[in-house]
Amino acid sequence: MSARPMRRLGIVLLLASLVGCVSPRPSKIMSSDGRITLTYWSATNAQELEFANQIAAEWNARHTEIQIRVEPVPSGQSTEEVILAAIASGTTPDIYANVFPGAMQDLLDARAVVQLDEYPDFFNVMHERMPPELLEQYRSFDGHYYQVPWKSNPVMVLYNTRMLREAEVPTLPATYSEFLAAAARVTRDRDGDGRTDQWMATIDYYPIWYKRLFDYYPLYLAASNGQKLLDNRRVIFDNEYSVRVFRFLHECFTRGYIPRQSFQGDVFLDGRVAAKFTGPYSISQLERYRPADFEYAYGPIPRPDDAAGQPVSYADPKSTIIFTTCRQPREAWEFVKFMVSKQNDLRLLELTSQLPIRAGLLEDQTFADYFKRNPKLVKFAEQLATARGIESIAELKEIFDAIAQEVEASVVFDLKPPEQAVHDAARKSQQILDVE
Amino acid sequence: MQPGRANRFSTLSKAVAALRTRLHGHAKVLRPNDSLTDNTDRVGYLMVLPYILHIAVFLGYPLAFAFVLIFHRWNIYTPMKWVGLGNIRLLLSDPLVWRALGNTLYFLLIHIPLQLVIALGLAQLLNQKIRGRAFFRASYFLPFVISGVVVTILWQQLYAVETGIINVLLQLVGLPKIGWLTDRRFAMPAIAIMATWKNVGLYIVLFLVGLQAIPSHLYEAAELDGASGWQQFRLITIPMLNPTIMLVLVLSTIGGFSLFIEPYVMTGGGPANSTLSGILYLYKQAFFFSKMGYATTIGFFWATIIFIVVLFQRRFVETEAM
Repeated sequence: MSARPMRRLGIVLLLASLVGCVSPRPSKIMSSDGRITLTYWSATNAQELEFANQIAAEWNARHTEIQIRVEPVPSGQSTEEVILAAIASGTTPDIYANVFPGAMQDLLDARAVVQLDEYPDFFNVMHERMPPELLEQYRSFDGHYYQVPWKSNPVMVLYNTRMLREAEVPTLPATYSEFLAAAARVTRDRDGDGRTDQWMATIDYYPIWYKRLFDYYPLYLAASNGQKLLDNRRVIFDNEYSVRVFRFLHECFTRGYIPRQSFQGDVFLDGRVAAKFTGPYSISQLERYRPADFEYAYGPIPRPDDAAGQPVSYADPKSTIIFTTCRQPREAWEFVKFMVSKQNDLRLLELTSQLPIRAGLLEDQTFADYFKRNPKLVKFAEQLATARGIESIAELKEIFDAIAQEVEASVVFDLKPPEQAVHDAARKSQQILDVE
Repeated sequence: MQPGRANRFSTLSKAVAALRTRLHGHAKVLRPNDSLTDNTDRVGYLMVLPYILHIAVFLGYPLAFAFVLIFHRWNIYTPMKWVGLGNIRLLLSDPLVWRALGNTLYFLLIHIPLQLVIALGLAQLLNQKIRGRAFFRASYFLPFVISGVVVTILWQQLYAVETGIINVLLQLVGLPKIGWLTDRRFAMPAIAIMATWKNVGLYIVLFLVGLQAIPSHLYEAAELDGASGWQQFRLITIPMLNPTIMLVLVLSTIGGFSLFIEPYVMTGGGPANSTLSGILYLYKQAFFFSKMGYATTIGFFWATIIFIVVLFQRRFVETEAM
């Protein structure tokens, strides 16, 4: 037996558990009447599935020769794992609409994605959505484009404003000292049994790499006014901004404003926690499940008291890609263009409360009525202008794992001073980059 | 040949003869000296073929493939790259591997004695003629058949610092609350207690089987000789249960080295890696960072450690007690 089939068999055996739930059906079918069916994997949440089903139905009604079949992405620890498992086992769909740009380098290494700037209308379509300097952030190291920047969920702080009012906190905190002062008022023992049962915020502090994308990283961007973590494969986050972030979180944990405890259920929704780091997607969930008297608002990511300029945060962007296993990439590209059209961007907002990556959202008349009806989303649209993405390198997960380990050791469990923890995270990260 | 073995061989011969009659229409009675591996006789091979195939596909091939991976760097989706002994060198210099080994040994140190004492004690009780015996036997076995993830989520709530019932009870009697899963001193013992609660049902059943196999005349004779209950337990029950104790020891050791769900769900390996187990570290390397070569190196290292520990147990526990 040659090495190649052996390796393939190995892949199947090793990843059987991960890809077991991947559809065994072929990803594309050409029927006897020449009709093409393309498979489109959507995120699994109900709102995005609804969006995918609606646009697929509209497309299918207009294009009888190219049909779109929507499937939710198979479940797994993270969608990145599922996608890589699907690549290894050759069960990728034609189109996937939720790629984390930080994982693009993995997909490029696997030669799994179609180069999109080879289509003559690529730049026209992109420049209609965003200025060239924003598009530039999504260019790969080889100088080409393999992704369509689709949507963004800038991370902000969601507050239970009723709890803040009851604690006599007059405004939403914007700086570290405002946040800590508010936390001191909010965190308390409500029923007088000697145990704290109301906290300022909660963080999932388990040392899992992607968790730090939603606390340390936005705080770092806010503190440093958008500085990168790496510069040409050199670690540059061993600086005062990181130390300030670590100190701030450390103070929250040691003073008990953030509990060293994980909870079952949504403690924000049931009024035990006053704040959480999240994106605009929480709005549709809150609107569906919140009690009648539940009040909420979004505030900026807290930053040092002496910070100036527009607050910066993590954009949490997601892109759309076409896999190289697609036999009709040109037809798939036509569908992707339809998917990111202005009308479907409005539909995305309406159904999911997620922001399309499109410049001038607040000025565009197409979206004016939506933002008038949903003023809470305006803050996110404003934040979008200064929100940053993330470096796309193969070692990103390991670097964030190194940061997560140090956050846990220093911030949560007080085992080393913040300066030492930041330095150790940077040293480990540089070692990871140097070894690779 | 011992009489028991001769009987078993005779039964096997009859079974093969019956099968032969069905397949070939005639029977050939096997005698003790007949070869079962006669080249002209493919029936035997046919009978074991499914098992051989199963072993080859689900054990032999993955094992061989994993061995090849030890010498490669491979992230699943790009071609393998030969790294020679690079993964082994990395393992030997990786402090987290040794940390995971230390954590696992610490877990075993608490879990195994606890498991043995509680399982044997409860089995002894459940072997008596007590009211509701069947109910208690089923109750103790219940946690073993419940999903590990469900059990860990339940215990996570019991161990919660502020709201967990254990700390609420501690505070009611004037004791301070404990960070069961957030304090490095308590996290691994807390997991070991939970794992004992979950698995003790199986070991109670094993001990019950062992206890019921001890001939009652030994106890009757000891009683006539004036032996106390403790003497009977120490001088009859324990030696007679030695094979069961050995089985429980080996199963607990292998189970302990496979520790994964509990730290994965309850602590993520924290606080500060104090509950990081070997399998959890292997999982992170394989499925978080796509380092299949390094993950399989850790896997082989772990299998070697288990082999050595079990060998050690067999050598010392079995011989000392017999």
